[in-house]
Amino acid sequence: MITSIAWKNVWRNRTRSLTVIAAVTVGVFAGVFAMAAINSSIVQRIDAAVNEELSHIQINNKEFRSSSDLKNVIPEPEKVISVLQNIPEVTHIAERIIVRGIASTSAGSTGVEITGINVEGEEEIFTLKTRLIPGTGSYFGSDTRLNSAFIGEKLAKELYIIRYILTEESLGTLEEGGVPSSVVQKLKPLENQRFTTEKKLTEALAGLLSAREAKEYGMMIREAAWSYREGSRIILTFLDADDNQTGAAFRICGIFRTNNDLFEAMSVFVPENELRRLTGLGEGEYHRIIARLADNDLTDRITPEVTEALPGLEVMNWKEIQTDLAMIADYMNQIYGIFMALILAALAFGIVNTMLMSVLERTRELGMLSAIGMNRRRVFTMIMLESIFLSVVGGFAGMVVSGIVIGITGRTGINLVKYSEGMEAFGYSAHLYPTIGADFFIMLTVLIVITGILSAIYPARKALQLNPVEALRGE
Amino acid sequence: MKVVEINDVYKTYHDTEVEVKAVNGVTLSFEKGDFAVIVGPSGSGKTTLLNLIGGLDQPTGGEIIVAGHRLSELKPSELIDFRMEHVGFVFQSYNLIPVLTASENVGFILNLQKWPKEKRKARTDEMLASVGLSDRHNSRPSQLSGGQQQRVAVARALAPRPEFILADEPTANLDTKSAETLLDIMEKLNHDEKMTFIFSTHDIRVMKRARRVITLEDGRIVSDVRVNNN
Repeated sequence: MITSIAWKNVWRNRTRSLTVIAAVTVGVFAGVFAMAAINSSIVQRIDAAVNEELSHIQINNKEFRSSSDLKNVIPEPEKVISVLQNIPEVTHIAERIIVRGIASTSAGSTGVEITGINVEGEEEIFTLKTRLIPGTGSYFGSDTRLNSAFIGEKLAKELYIIRYILTEESLGTLEEGGVPSSVVQKLKPLENQRFTTEKKLTEALAGLLSAREAKEYGMMIREAAWSYREGSRIILTFLDADDNQTGAAFRICGIFRTNNDLFEAMSVFVPENELRRLTGLGEGEYHRIIARLADNDLTDRITPEVTEALPGLEVMNWKEIQTDLAMIADYMNQIYGIFMALILAALAFGIVNTMLMSVLERTRELGMLSAIGMNRRRVFTMIMLESIFLSVVGGFAGMVVSGIVIGITGRTGINLVKYSEGMEAFGYSAHLYPTIGADFFIMLTVLIVITGILSAIYPARKALQLNPVEALRGE
Repeated sequence: MKVVEINDVYKTYHDTEVEVKAVNGVTLSFEKGDFAVIVGPSGSGKTTLLNLIGGLDQPTGGEIIVAGHRLSELKPSELIDFRMEHVGFVFQSYNLIPVLTASENVGFILNLQKWPKEKRKARTDEMLASVGLSDRHNSRPSQLSGGQQQRVAVARALAPRPEFILADEPTANLDTKSAETLLDIMEKLNHDEKMTFIFSTHDIRVMKRARRVITLEDGRIVSDVRVNNN
């Protein structure tokens, strides 16, 4: 009966209750969706870090990271591999030779980290191959006339391997892609002009297009003008094992595009045998051994196990290598907490306000209930239930809306490409696929109910303080 | 049999610096089956006396015994239970629960008293029939006239079979026809079920029906007259 009355009381002022419920719904949705978007950004960044850059655990000679001496190889690598093979959670192992050097072309040069990889073994651990920009090569294909190098787009730009040319074909593509013909016509003077950098093209566009057009279509135009001559070469220069300068020309066998500008700018991947030959490292000598685990969640548990089994070597997991990312991942719970607190605080204020109004305008009725024998516990329960119903209905609606929107945007993604430069400089994708765990929803549900209960305490106490004689006398 | 005994009861309010004796040394008793009205000018203490009898308020002096309970000895929570068990209230403004139907309003106290569902329904039906509202079981208060709402309030007050009914200005908001109908019903219940009714009123229509008229002035009883209205 009390439950039934409480539920009916919620709906006696339909407009007010619906307004509060709508406010709670919007608040919960906004909080959950923002949380899902932030979460997806971090999850995607971690996935990229693990799957494209670091994997789960890396083992180095203790001196290797602090010194560029090629002689700091892993002693007895076969023992390391044997240890890793005996850990059931380790699914794949890869060995690498790593050399710091300079990459150069006739137009520019920059410092890089050259990684010699076992191409086939590497594919089992990393998904970088899938990041190959179409039309830039075939990864490490069958053409072995020249040493092959797989490099990042950012590096390719720095070495002026990528240029920007608006051909007749690319202008046609722009028009087909939805750029108005009036804008395409304005671009005609640039047809077949070659720009060595994105900045120069952007400057040229600024002279032809309005600020609004440049902002709206600039990205599409730069993409259409993006040009790469297949088979371009770079010179890699580095010190060999005897500290003699050496180097060779490498044919670009592909350019990869990730969300991490720094990784793109620094990384050159070449076949291990080529690098071993050039550096003079002996067969079976490696600087790094990488282990992939069955699940990322195993990282914290397996790392100490490997460390203990391999004394004298540096064993680091991705969290220890990318401490900033690990810190963000670890802080996710705190970020969740802050978001939840904000959502729930807004909810609490709304509920307290509504319930207080509801109690104060029912003074006479509450006095009557007390007069005819409804005890304090029942009055308190009734007010509590009203508050919980308001919170739960609004919270549930908010979560349903969030679930639907997250479900849709989780598939289609949210395109933040306008902000891609800023985001990718920090390694975050400009395409977000919002995601949130079921545990978050469950926790939020529980917390919404608790908030509903806590929010009702003050209004319910107000109701209990009513003197039935005065309440019955009042209007 | 005495249902209510009031012995030298005082109720004093301290309104800023002024002391107001709303009830000033009243001694009075009510018998089972009384159909009594308390009359007097505004501020004479009628409603205060009714509140004291109903256990809604505590006297500052004297003693009230209702159905064997000394009200001054009851804790606030016990007073609430006492009211639920022994007193039926009818208010001037009906005071039905707006979100409940007539039937649910009548069954409300029975529900608080944990009556079994079937017995509760039977009693609710019986009470609504006794106030002539058998056809309005599912009507909300907003769908009923003032007179009908007050009849539901009477049915609610009577449903748990209290010792007596306290009715504070029950006809004040009713037109003549509705007031007469309501009083007919109350008289019949008084006659048939020997239910004790104690009214506080200004309404001459109620006074005409009463068999006992108690007049208060300045918190004191100035007359207590039994009238033969039969």
